[in-house]
Amino acid sequence: MEAAQLELENVTKRFGGVAAVDGVTFSVAKGEILGIIGPNGAGKTTLLNCISGVYRLDGGDIRWQGASISGLAPHKVARLGVGRTFQVVKPFGSMTVRENAAIGSLFGSEQARLAPKAAFKQADSVLELVGLRSKADLPVSALTVPDRKRLEVARAVATRPKLLLLDEVMAGLNHVEIDEALDMVRAVHKTGVTVVLIEHVMRVIVGLCQRAVVLNLGRVLADGEPEVVLRDERVVEAYLGERYAKRLKD
Amino acid sequence: MIGMSASRLWNRIFIGLALAVLAYAVLAPLTSLSAAQSLNVPLLTDRLWFRIATIIAMFVVMATAWNIIGGLTGYAAFGNVAFFGIGAYTTGMLIAKAKWPFLLALPLSPVAAAAFAALVGLPLLRLRGHYFAVASLGVGVAVGELVQNIDYQGQPMFGGASGLFLPIFSIGDRGLFFFYLMLGAAAISIAVTWLVLRSRFGYGLIAIRENEEAAAVIGVNTTAYKVAAYALSAALTGLAGGIFSQWNVFINQENAFPIEYNVQMILMALLGGTGTVFGPAAGAVVLQLLIQFLSGTLPVTLSLPFVPSDAMPVIAQIILGLMLVIVVIFAPRGVIDFFGGRSRLSLAYLRRSLRETSI
Repeated sequence: MEAAQLELENVTKRFGGVAAVDGVTFSVAKGEILGIIGPNGAGKTTLLNCISGVYRLDGGDIRWQGASISGLAPHKVARLGVGRTFQVVKPFGSMTVRENAAIGSLFGSEQARLAPKAAFKQADSVLELVGLRSKADLPVSALTVPDRKRLEVARAVATRPKLLLLDEVMAGLNHVEIDEALDMVRAVHKTGVTVVLIEHVMRVIVGLCQRAVVLNLGRVLADGEPEVVLRDERVVEAYLGERYAKRLKD
Repeated sequence: MIGMSASRLWNRIFIGLALAVLAYAVLAPLTSLSAAQSLNVPLLTDRLWFRIATIIAMFVVMATAWNIIGGLTGYAAFGNVAFFGIGAYTTGMLIAKAKWPFLLALPLSPVAAAAFAALVGLPLLRLRGHYFAVASLGVGVAVGELVQNIDYQGQPMFGGASGLFLPIFSIGDRGLFFFYLMLGAAAISIAVTWLVLRSRFGYGLIAIRENEEAAAVIGVNTTAYKVAAYALSAALTGLAGGIFSQWNVFINQENAFPIEYNVQMILMALLGGTGTVFGPAAGAVVLQLLIQFLSGTLPVTLSLPFVPSDAMPVIAQIILGLMLVIVVIFAPRGVIDFFGGRSRLSLAYLRRSLRETSI
């Protein structure tokens, strides 16, 4: 395994008196697929917002390819090659599917920004990758929920990231749709992109991730292989409560 | 015409009509040249026509410029008249006080307006939605008051309440000259919008309008883009102001910072279609003609029963207000939406719009 691409060291983010993320430390290796799981309110999305520059840290440091990126504005983080999606999809509503994907190529990673014409050309191959090629000319409003999630991924992939942060792209999908989404993430990963994804669906974590980090109340509870982590007593407790976990053990 | 869909037919009629109006507007003034007169070409224009056509072109500039910040970027700027006034006073002061020649002073109007917009834009554009609208309106009002009331060594710095008189620009046919100058500014505004909409910059602005947070995480420098859009909008508006000051020869707070322009340019852009290249210009032509018609300056006038003629300007305001309400509710994408081949004016369209614009 190569050296760490992304390193989080004691990352802390407070809202008022509550530490939503409280001293989180872990690193992500290049080419990895890492899952972040945890019960509601564990600080998963907050952590993603810290990495992508949407929130400013209250403590700790985040290093990207060895250099600190904490305090950088979101667009600067994006230009360094960190792409992300939002849990609640944020498409550019007045544009077509193709335009949404093309705009990612117009901006994104600094070295590889494309001119409008080339961006539109590349948009089609990105849409192919996520399975939206046949819907390229539709307005966003005509897309179903799973397709909107695909579009969210397409726009992020179009920025040509080295690291892709996916925030619950499979929530609310049915079994067939999840299988399709898994294929989509694998296809993106195959192009050489490191993937960090937040997910509630355990099947996704086990089937996709090489490693899982469990967050609870803003702290890292466990970090390791998905099968091992999910059997960890503390993790079960965090999800199901102390009493139920005890009963399960007895 | 068989086989052509109704919307395409309408589209052609609209474009044909627009071209005819444009051709008349550009060519008719030439008949007033003495060379044309000596050849017995019938006179198609008079002084009144020049005045109205120049005002229309001025509003084309302002509505098109507003569209860059309000329509493309989605920031409802309510104080753009400040840039018009700054443009007017920049050229005005340079000519009246510093004795600069007009054509040398004019280019500094857009520069001054853009610089001011960038300065106030940095803090202002951090606000969103109606907070920005109200704050920008505040700036618009404040600048006008400042210009009138700043004193320097006991003397009003910018002419004060009595205004600023400019020497008359000596050129053969003033009406013709200023009409073409303003028309040129209108053409520049439309061309700038066209270029912006095809550039990375333009896509970035639209991304900001659609979702600012999503725009930021794909790598759009939202602050820089918003300030640049505001400054560009201000530069074009300031250019119109600069031309206006020399054309009108006299400027004061009332004619350089008219509060009602704020609403009018927005209404024009809304009526024509925000975010489009030609929508605001079309809206400006239609609405300004209507304003002139209702206030009785056109050869054709409207007389309503039971309404004394001196109450007509008030009636005009009421009709404009009603129009704003109707347009916003029933045609949120502007009338140009019917001519782009995308939608057809129908009862279903109005019903759908009503659904979209109501809670």
